[in-house]
Amino acid sequence: MSFIDLKGMLQPLGAVKQLFKKPHTIQYPYETNKASDNYRGLHFNDLDQCIGCGNCSTICQNDAIDMISLDNIDGKKGDSGLRPRIDNGRCCWCALCVDVCPTGSLNLTKDYIFVTDNPNDFLLTPGLDNPDAKDRLSYTCDMNTSLSLYDRVPMRELDGKERVKSFAEVVLGYSEEEARAEADRCISCGLCTEACPENMHIPEYINAIARGNDDDALRIIYDNNPLPEMCGKVCTRVCEDVCALQVRGEAVAIRWLKRYATETAPTVEMIKEIVDPKIEEPNGFSVGIVGAGPAGLTAAYYLALKGYDVTIYEAQAHAGGMIMYGIPKYRFPLESIDKQIQYMESIGVKIKYNTKVGKDITFDEIYTNNDAVFVGIGLQNPWNIGIKNEDSPGVISAIEYLKIINSDETYDVGKKVAVIGGGNVAIDGARVSARFGADVTILYRRRVEDMPADWEEIEGAEHEGINIVPQAIPTRIIKDEKTGKVIGIEYLKAKMVAEDGGRPRPVAIEGSETIYECDTVIGAIGQQADFDWLPENYKEDLIIERGKIQVNDLRQTGVTKIFAGGDSVKYGNSDAISAIADGFNAVKGIDKLLLK
Amino acid sequence: MVREKETTLYIGPQHPGITGNMMVKLKVQGDTVVSAATHVGYLHRAFEKLIERRNWIQAFTLLCRFCVPEPDPMELTYARAVEELDNREVPERAKYIRVIVMELARMQSFMLWYAGQSGSAGLYLTPQWSVGDRNYILDLFEDLTGGRIYHMYIWPGGVRRDLPEGWTDKTLRTMDYIEKRLDEYNKILFDNTIFQKRAQGVGIVPKDKAIEWGVVGPVLRGTGIKSDVRIDEPYEVYDKIDFDVPTQEGGDIWARALVRKEEVRQSIRIIRQAIADMPGGAYYNKVSNPMKWTVPAGQAWAKTESVRGEIGFHVTSDGGNKPYRVHVKGAAYTHGVTVLEKILPGQNIADVSFILNSLGVCPPEIER
Amino acid sequence: MTDLVKENILLNAVTSAFKIEGKVIRDRRVEVHADKNTVSSILLFAKKQLGYIHMNHMTCIDWIEQGEFELVYTIYHPVDKLTLFVKTRIDREIPVMENIDTIWDHANTYEREMREMFGIEFPGLVGEHDFILEDWDQIPPMRKEFDTHKYAAETFYTRPGREDAKDVREELSKRSGTVVPDFAKKYSRE
Repeated sequence: MSFIDLKGMLQPLGAVKQLFKKPHTIQYPYETNKASDNYRGLHFNDLDQCIGCGNCSTICQNDAIDMISLDNIDGKKGDSGLRPRIDNGRCCWCALCVDVCPTGSLNLTKDYIFVTDNPNDFLLTPGLDNPDAKDRLSYTCDMNTSLSLYDRVPMRELDGKERVKSFAEVVLGYSEEEARAEADRCISCGLCTEACPENMHIPEYINAIARGNDDDALRIIYDNNPLPEMCGKVCTRVCEDVCALQVRGEAVAIRWLKRYATETAPTVEMIKEIVDPKIEEPNGFSVGIVGAGPAGLTAAYYLALKGYDVTIYEAQAHAGGMIMYGIPKYRFPLESIDKQIQYMESIGVKIKYNTKVGKDITFDEIYTNNDAVFVGIGLQNPWNIGIKNEDSPGVISAIEYLKIINSDETYDVGKKVAVIGGGNVAIDGARVSARFGADVTILYRRRVEDMPADWEEIEGAEHEGINIVPQAIPTRIIKDEKTGKVIGIEYLKAKMVAEDGGRPRPVAIEGSETIYECDTVIGAIGQQADFDWLPENYKEDLIIERGKIQVNDLRQTGVTKIFAGGDSVKYGNSDAISAIADGFNAVKGIDKLLLK
Repeated sequence: MVREKETTLYIGPQHPGITGNMMVKLKVQGDTVVSAATHVGYLHRAFEKLIERRNWIQAFTLLCRFCVPEPDPMELTYARAVEELDNREVPERAKYIRVIVMELARMQSFMLWYAGQSGSAGLYLTPQWSVGDRNYILDLFEDLTGGRIYHMYIWPGGVRRDLPEGWTDKTLRTMDYIEKRLDEYNKILFDNTIFQKRAQGVGIVPKDKAIEWGVVGPVLRGTGIKSDVRIDEPYEVYDKIDFDVPTQEGGDIWARALVRKEEVRQSIRIIRQAIADMPGGAYYNKVSNPMKWTVPAGQAWAKTESVRGEIGFHVTSDGGNKPYRVHVKGAAYTHGVTVLEKILPGQNIADVSFILNSLGVCPPEIER
Repeated sequence: MTDLVKENILLNAVTSAFKIEGKVIRDRRVEVHADKNTVSSILLFAKKQLGYIHMNHMTCIDWIEQGEFELVYTIYHPVDKLTLFVKTRIDREIPVMENIDTIWDHANTYEREMREMFGIEFPGLVGEHDFILEDWDQIPPMRKEFDTHKYAAETFYTRPGREDAKDVREELSKRSGTVVPDFAKKYSRE
């Protein structure tokens, strides 16, 4: 090739023809570029949808996201009240915050130009500072693209047909692998801790399980719950209702994970070895506790750890209260209760069984001999159904029925059973009857979705062949004129009427009388406390309103020395975990009273 | 010959005709380089150290920053190393998508090289064209990933999002367009006598030394040695795709340019095949909660063919939720230091950045 | 993939020549563990006798708990397409390793970087000391004990206006009046 290569010199000049082509980089007149539908521009956060879990802030590898309080947003259960603020000087628009947002409230928009002369404007609270960006969302994240794991690891259970044959435990528990996988789903936000009446350290113990340190998990659980085995099996788990994942998917199975943790220590010795409770030197004070239910046991456990001399007076032959007598054994086996009670006794809690206060020992005696008293008597007496012929043989309340069965005694429910009510106790009564071969129907005033019972319990009942008749208002019990025994129940069908936008109320449809033939009617519409044992002079000072004792936040009653907790006080919900919270807080109260 | 005085001359640390900061310390006699040493470019951002503080998923957002002109192979190589450690299967569809992304990345990087190579020879029309055309590829990336330069799209387990609707058609149209444009590029650059004269016989990498010096990729293929990770150790679905690995004899800038010129056509061929063969199904094998995801302890070495050559990731896990050590080796790590220092002596000063460009030196790979 | 014949031949060749341990990791990947003094002989043997003429990579891993640096030499056979890892461990307190830039020229770059980043000395290594870090007066930064968070906090100032940031978990426990015990805190969100 000579230096003068004519072709090679002229060829490039062909580019001149481009002069006459339409330019493709700049448009006249000027048009702004439209960002693509997937563009990763400035953030937008739907402030109402956001629950302030802070997952965005945790994943942000640039530390660009702060969680801050906003003036018009208050925290509530299931919402920390905090919202993300982005330091756009640090953001790299990787959009991981979008991909981990469990609710899908945080998105990126098409806004890629942001000009301001005030550097502080780059601290942007998405949603608050750019409300109009809602219409320009681009990079969003649905449940498929999300990095959150929305599906719960399914719990293995006995088959419905199999389990009605016996009182064997229905739920089989997680295997180690299943527990780790389920624990991995937790995003550790802690929203659950606020919903839990006892404020258990949920993210911490779940994380310990996720990392394979089951011992630490158990230790963390026992920090403020001495009855985790019970909670792991039958807790009402309000925590799961506020789980960040349940907004779009299934909540983390907090209850089953706690159950898993307790199952890693199958004996009392192992619990003691792992938890290694520090028992302080006796401090010289003594506390008497009425009732060995969850509230009383919890108070006793933490008082004993703090060096108090604790004695529980229990009317029944067995400790546990409602969890012993009110919960069927296929949900919470006897061994589990025994294990928990033995563990309590092993650290120094004294329990006097078959000692009914007011009969075997006077309350005065307990009051005078102790420095403080804790009353946790629970709700013993069932409400009446309030319909005709309720006193006939064949009508029984669910708690009486459960107590008989749990005390290993017998009660013949016959072939067909009607259960009235929609709570867990009603379902328990129904499922226990089914285990004796009865054909069971539940009559409930409202719709199935209104039933206060756990959905798992309702589903379990359905799997066991129990028939649920919703919107049924019982009107009378029909008895055999000769024997006086129950032969059926009459009910009216109801329609749901919403008044003033409130919760729909069942209204009976006239002339819709239906008769269900049955041998037994089990009533489960609630219980009340029995205060007959309490001397009159205490009753006045204690302040009992609508059958419940009034207490302050340290569970102190109108009488300085008397503390109370559990279902019989007016504080929190009527469930075991609230009772545990009562016991735990009463310990703080007693501490404050006696030790200052 | 009269012995002239030796002068020390620094090229850089601002972008010395290439993308990124680096500095070459030259000793010159007249216009001729006597010796060269690559020196600090004030570009160290401690990415490898920062990755050790982040969890496995967070770390992936840093990777693209190792090399601005071609970030995607970094993501892919990391993803493959982590997948090897974690024994994680990648869905077939994701593999095809990854191949398309890789080849698009190669093309857009070629466009940038094209601009740099001709620009450093003083030809300023070609950069205008190629950078303009590159934007059509960046548009495709924007539609696919939401970002134009840093895509953060390929991560362990697959890819982040499925192909948007109509994306493959748009891609095929863009390919047709670029294919046509390549002919026009030929006229203004490869048929251009000025470029030919500048490139031929300059910056020669000797064939017998190339492998020992750690030369890889198009530079190695420009010496006549056929070596390409896509063929030697096929990853994703490159073994199911038909393409050629072009080679040229000579080892000079001209040979390397011809190799690259042909490679882009191969990329178009690969993209067309991958789109035609693309299976349906999942595009991502979900990892566990990114905050808690742990990767089994071990070490993995993964390598990928980028436009500059082999990119390797040596990833070490101690079984925790963060990488214990990630060591990135880009092609420029050898090209920009040892190879450069060896071939610069005897060259003209005016050719230094021309040679830098042809070696595919990407300074962020040297100082990470 | 099933038989790994080439891999095993390579493993035997190296392990029997030097009486060292090793294993086939998977297809195309073989590793051997060597004493630090034999590394250069192995590399030379692999290069001259076995045809591993390309060195892909050289890396250092700081195993602070074991008090060791692990050096991994990754070499490649362009015909057999096999990769051989030669791994060795050196004492973290006396970090000295043989210089191999006479075997592969570009090892010089890796070694200079390791000298700066890990503080490993390679006797006889020629080249700029300030290759990447200019005027660095702290411990070699890639060592595990070097805390980037701390360094950044001491060296740079943080942007004002972000002091009101709250921690979600702390906010929630404050609101519910609970205290997360110290032993549980390591499981709280980072």
